[in-house]
Amino acid sequence: METIVEAIDLKKTYMLGKVPVEAIRGVNLRVEKGDFLAILGPSGSGKSTMLNLIGALDKPTSGVMKIDGVDISQLNENQLADLRRRIGFVFQFFNLIPRFTAKDNVELAMSIAGTTRGERGKKAEELLENVGLKDRIKHKPAELSGGQQQRVAIARAIANNPRFLLLDEPTGNIDSKTAQEVIGIIKDLNEKGVTIIMVTHDQNLAKKAKRVVRMFDGLVISDEVN
Amino acid sequence: MKIRDAFSYSFGAIRLRKLRAGLTILGVVIGIAAIAALLSITQGLQNTITTQLQEGLAADTLVVIPGGGFFSGNQDRGGGFGPGMGGPNSGFQLQVNDTEIIEDLSPDILMASATIQRQGYINSSEQNHITAIVGVEYSEYQQIYGTTFVAESGQISPTPANDSVVIGKRLNQLQNGTVVFALGEDVQISWTNATARPPMNETYAGKVTAVLQEVGGFAFGGPSDDSIYIPQSQAEAFFDTAECQTIIVKLAKSDQATIDQVSQLIIDEFAGEVSVISATAVVSLLGSVFSIIQIFLVGIAAISLLVAGIGIMNIMIVSLIERTREIGILKALGMRNQTVMLIFLGESIIIGTIGATIGIALGYGLANVVAVLLGGGGAFSGMGGASAVSDTSSLKITPILTPTVFAGAFAFGIGISVIFALYPAWRASKLKPVEALRYE
Repeated sequence: METIVEAIDLKKTYMLGKVPVEAIRGVNLRVEKGDFLAILGPSGSGKSTMLNLIGALDKPTSGVMKIDGVDISQLNENQLADLRRRIGFVFQFFNLIPRFTAKDNVELAMSIAGTTRGERGKKAEELLENVGLKDRIKHKPAELSGGQQQRVAIARAIANNPRFLLLDEPTGNIDSKTAQEVIGIIKDLNEKGVTIIMVTHDQNLAKKAKRVVRMFDGLVISDEVN
Repeated sequence: MKIRDAFSYSFGAIRLRKLRAGLTILGVVIGIAAIAALLSITQGLQNTITTQLQEGLAADTLVVIPGGGFFSGNQDRGGGFGPGMGGPNSGFQLQVNDTEIIEDLSPDILMASATIQRQGYINSSEQNHITAIVGVEYSEYQQIYGTTFVAESGQISPTPANDSVVIGKRLNQLQNGTVVFALGEDVQISWTNATARPPMNETYAGKVTAVLQEVGGFAFGGPSDDSIYIPQSQAEAFFDTAECQTIIVKLAKSDQATIDQVSQLIIDEFAGEVSVISATAVVSLLGSVFSIIQIFLVGIAAISLLVAGIGIMNIMIVSLIERTREIGILKALGMRNQTVMLIFLGESIIIGTIGATIGIALGYGLANVVAVLLGGGGAFSGMGGASAVSDTSSLKITPILTPTVFAGAFAFGIGISVIFALYPAWRASKLKPVEALRYE
């Protein structure tokens, strides 16, 4: 098996004013290619910090976080940025650019990766069609429902053929029916070979994953296969 | 991300905030317009004055005046406007026959001709004008000022009758067409001999034998539209003097080396009691004066551009705060710090480019409007010296927008925009993605 993400004795301490807060207190985790992993935990368990570290948005205080075999602590800011292009982020609040259309938002990820204009336009349309938004490509986020926005975010996340998808509470801001549709899309992607890492506090959502890692108080307390 | 895509992103951000961007651009427009207008009008003014000076003071001509320390050909004496033109500082007087001494100084001197000048009056039965009465050798003066001492009507005889009077164009006809003194008209020439006891009004009868074509400009040492010319021998008798105010020297060559050499010879010959003025020295001094004026004016205009720059910085910082989360998204999608910086600087470059382009066009247009107003209004008229004629011509200014001024103003506009955007752009690039994404 090919290891995509590997955390070894990972620790992260934040300073809350002058008080140090240990958000992650020694986590060991390995994610293999093709996994569909849910990181489950209550608020304050350290799962969001874990998400930031897996997404190379932040560096650990100690320990090792390897993505594709590369220790992110050793990377400079440009290298971290380049690495993030190989990670597909899906945020709880969608984080689409409001002034861009659905198509432009998907294109933006490819534009950052240096894809040519002609190539990315065609691909963006295909991706949006795949998530069922063929007739919404020229709509701006404000003209789309929460579920539709999340689907645009998923299309954007997979636009650069990432090594894995990193989802933060992907159904946290959409109704249950739409959530089912979004989960369906995520499962489809996983079945097509896309590695999925999903952070959630929703037990029902976690049940959809192949593997559930439970966190509590900055530590992994269980790692089970569904 | 490709540079074109980054600029496209910047342009999109500007379009989103049209009013704010428009007002920022307006600030740049005002600054650049002020700079372009002031530069083009001062360059136009300098050009006009220089051209007219060169016409009045031919390049192969030197003007010798009594009094040392004038700026030309005598710069080792400290230069500057010392005693002023024609203002003797030690009682030294140039004499008409000094021309012979000067002519013998160098083979490069073709001719030296004296002018005797007094302030006086020209009267007819209906008109009475104060004017400069200049006694010159018509034939020599014609040779020296072949392009300006030219009759528009009548004839300038090389052997004029004693009562011959040649008048400048403005003494013949006003701009509105009113004839003042006509060709062939009998006139009275008079002056007040203040040295006589008691002071006496001297008068003699003359006849207008020629009217000069319009000279324009400043007539610095040469023919003027506001003067009258009488034969030198007549002037000597009439003013009862052999003292002359200037000696005009015509050179065989007009290169700087000859000018410098001959100037020095003349100064040395008269033991430093004279000054020698050349066209090149006057133009060069004028150039220096205009440079200082330009720096001063552009400095003032640049302040308004600095204010515009602060405006740019202000909206960039506001924009940075508003778009913190967006920057976080861009970074999460893999955008490098320098690309974030480029996007922000791109916005300022676009603002600067639009502002500078409109500003230069507006400034040049404004300069033309000002030039028309000044040209028509006569604000610069009467600088020709001895003019006292009521209707004097105006100084025509053609604003000049040289490629250097164009490029300079353009670069300055963009430069200021970029400089003031550097800090917000740098701050944007340094935002931490985790914190930026968390920003509400």
